[in-house]
Amino acid sequence: MLGKYFGSGRSGAFDWFFQRVSGIALLITLFLHFWVLHYATEGPVTYQKVMARMVSPAWKALDIAFLIFAVYHAMNGFKMIIDDYVHTPGVRAVLVGALWVVAIGFFGLGVLTIVTLKVQA
Amino acid sequence: MKKVVFQPKVRYKLHPGYLAWILHRATGILLGVYLFLHIWVIHHLSQGEEAFNEVMAVVQSPFFHLMEIGLLATVVYHGLNGLRVVFIDYGNLAKRDIMRKVVYAVLAVSAVLVGAGAVPMLRLAFGL
Repeated sequence: MLGKYFGSGRSGAFDWFFQRVSGIALLITLFLHFWVLHYATEGPVTYQKVMARMVSPAWKALDIAFLIFAVYHAMNGFKMIIDDYVHTPGVRAVLVGALWVVAIGFFGLGVLTIVTLKVQA
Repeated sequence: MKKVVFQPKVRYKLHPGYLAWILHRATGILLGVYLFLHIWVIHHLSQGEEAFNEVMAVVQSPFFHLMEIGLLATVVYHGLNGLRVVFIDYGNLAKRDIMRKVVYAVLAVSAVLVGAGAVPMLRLAFGL
């Protein structure tokens, strides 16, 4: 019965380790994201300014990597919270399932946004 | 033989490490919600110039620039405290008195960074 009380302490090494890996990756990518949009770009942010950057495949690749780290980190964080407070198997299944749906849904929306841009030269 | 059952500790003492943990969890939930909203807002980019500029005009209004300070505080605290949690394993940061100091250091550095970042955001919010 220990699992009931240890909560996310028993989520396993994979969750723990990759929360760190994605967290460190996010510190780097998020700083870059913040710098580019708040200091390197003269505000306000408009379509033209964003598309000037998004024509580059390197920026698209970076943004997809950023998206993967962010959605993974957020989803894993929510899962640890569920592990901590929800112990009834049925409710857990519903919540973790809903989390997967939301995470995959928004990840798909993000990737679609990046890959379907109508880039004018 | 008496059966040993693990008893969860039900009474908590509000020490700095516990406060840091609560804040980490609360900011984490806020950031998770923000991330999904952000993805939804930015998806307008694939719907052409007009749709994107329209939604960006809303989120770059004075009110949202004020809210942005809250976002900055949330991100900076969560990031710095996350770094502290990672370094617990490498820098002896779990030791009671050291842990206490590092938690205060995280809060102090966060306050300085948020203060510095808030200046341009306040100027945008009030059009100065």
